[in-house]
Amino acid sequence: MSREAILARVRAALEGRADVAHPTTFESWGRETQADPVEDFALLFAAAGGEVVRLETVAEARAWLADFRAAFVGVVVGQTVPDGLDLGLAVQRALPEEAALGISLARGAIAETGSLILDARDGRRVQLLPPTHVVLLARSTMHRTMADAFEAVSGDLGSAIGLHSGPSKSADIGQILVKGVHGPGRVVALIVEEELA
Amino acid sequence: MQARSRDYRIRAREILSGAPEVRDAVTRATRTFDTHRVGAFEQIDAERWRAWAEAVKSHLLMNLDDYLVEAEARLQENGAVVHWAERSSDVHEILGRIVEAEGVERVVKGKSMLSEELGVNDFLESGNVRVSETDLGEYVIQLLGEPPSHIVGPAIHRSVDDIRRLFHEELGTSLDADPDTLASAARDALRADFLAADMGITGGNFLVAETGTLALIENEGNIRISTSAPRIHVALVGIEKLLPRLSDLAGFLQLTSRAATGQPVGNFVSLIHGPRRGDEVDGPEQVHVILVDNGRTELLADEHAWEALRCVRCGACLNICPVFRQTGGHPYGWAYSGPIGSVLAPGLLGLEASDPLPFASSLCGACSEVCPVRIPIHELLLTWRERMVRNGSAGPFEKTAMRAFRALSARPGLFARAGRALGVVPDGLARRLPVLGAWSAVRAPLRPSPKSFRALWREGIE
Repeated sequence: MSREAILARVRAALEGRADVAHPTTFESWGRETQADPVEDFALLFAAAGGEVVRLETVAEARAWLADFRAAFVGVVVGQTVPDGLDLGLAVQRALPEEAALGISLARGAIAETGSLILDARDGRRVQLLPPTHVVLLARSTMHRTMADAFEAVSGDLGSAIGLHSGPSKSADIGQILVKGVHGPGRVVALIVEEELA
Repeated sequence: MQARSRDYRIRAREILSGAPEVRDAVTRATRTFDTHRVGAFEQIDAERWRAWAEAVKSHLLMNLDDYLVEAEARLQENGAVVHWAERSSDVHEILGRIVEAEGVERVVKGKSMLSEELGVNDFLESGNVRVSETDLGEYVIQLLGEPPSHIVGPAIHRSVDDIRRLFHEELGTSLDADPDTLASAARDALRADFLAADMGITGGNFLVAETGTLALIENEGNIRISTSAPRIHVALVGIEKLLPRLSDLAGFLQLTSRAATGQPVGNFVSLIHGPRRGDEVDGPEQVHVILVDNGRTELLADEHAWEALRCVRCGACLNICPVFRQTGGHPYGWAYSGPIGSVLAPGLLGLEASDPLPFASSLCGACSEVCPVRIPIHELLLTWRERMVRNGSAGPFEKTAMRAFRALSARPGLFARAGRALGVVPDGLARRLPVLGAWSAVRAPLRPSPKSFRALWREGIE
């Protein structure tokens, strides 16, 4: 059987070899950060081609979303987006493969890489198929480092997590940057100071 | 895939004389990649990150049996199916069984060099399964019927004009279409494939033993969709791709991205633990992980060359390599090209099949200096050269040169002084020196540059 054969060959290969100790935990040595991790996130997310909107309250977020989504025909909303944002009945529902706009809730974000943490329980297609993607994020879920973020989610990893750090892009055609190749070509991180739930 | 490395010299010559535009395109692309890496390395304590990453991967490899068993257990707990494959025929058999049992007719693929190594597309197509490469660069070369030319940028050898003509014929776009229009045409064609596919096939950048996390880095989102839309996901993972802990993954995702494209992290990262659960609205019903050996255990047993197994496939050594820049990856004749391809090839394919790849290098050492996991690539090139010479497959000039070079390069200080000294050696003396004498006997005298190649390369020669 392949399993036993491979493990036996690994063990034979390692027979009498000196071990190497696992080093200290990774600490992003030398990376300079700002006092407010949201500033780091916003800089990197924008540099990668994303857009950042910062709002204070849930009421402001509700109003911003109502205004923003009016321009789109067909909207799909993630399963974990809180009811309080009032997206339920007002939204013209569409299937993810037909919607012009997808709206998701992030589990959290990572300042040092400018990444949104998206969970499969929100729905995967809503995060990937519409050309524009708006992701809601409560400021309290911002992590300074990727290591911190992984530690925070490690107790409940679910079936899949996506880290989205900007729009879909490619330079495969003559090194010229194009956006929206497969996933969303436009992605907006909507960061709200208040809790969203 | 059938490796064609033995034809390296012929194919390199064909490109250099017959298709000089390839050299321009590859040089431009690799210089761009490398400029981005340099900028990204300046933002961190790169030496500390590299030393850390080297230690993690070496620790992993020296305890690989335990970590493989741990990864298997976590994946199974998460509901994934784990397969083990000793060679490519085992992978084909496993894929064939899944295709048969599940009635798979259409497959979408994320870019995977391991799948190139294993000849997965040819196998599936021989069984009448329709396979769509979904990475834009991979899509281009699939339409052209070519292998990838670079680990990260498979179509870097092709110009915008080449792709315009190709898409005009295949997708009906106009002959003066801009890159946005071309990409949009590919998106429309492939979106239909994503939604019709029964199975998504990907590689795996990392597999975390502690949590059973399969990690994939990309920029287009095609891997995210390939692992989200079809009802079956199959991941091909080389056994050397494991990492011990989830906290290690935080370092490796960032270091690999910085080394490959200069980004803090790729725009999309998939962290996959298993099939969709009862409370989820979409996602694959089955997740299969195939752990692949295909020569890796033999390389692990090699007390010198095993270090090549730390490779994270970032392509940084290709981008900096003055030899790779002349031709791109095609002359190397298999999935992995450039300096790392030339040290993996003898280990995974054997000495006979991989000759003369270890000689396709100036031994300037730039590859070793940029490697994020500190593989001593140019030293391993020498190791394989020596073994090929001993094995009788290298010529007499290489044999003499090998001995002199080994003596010099074992002492970096002496090597640097020798390089500088060559610039001031008088012709008469040069003729009497070993190596230089052999060269001068049948050629015009060498006129060494006043600056050594190492010095020029560091300064960034044009």
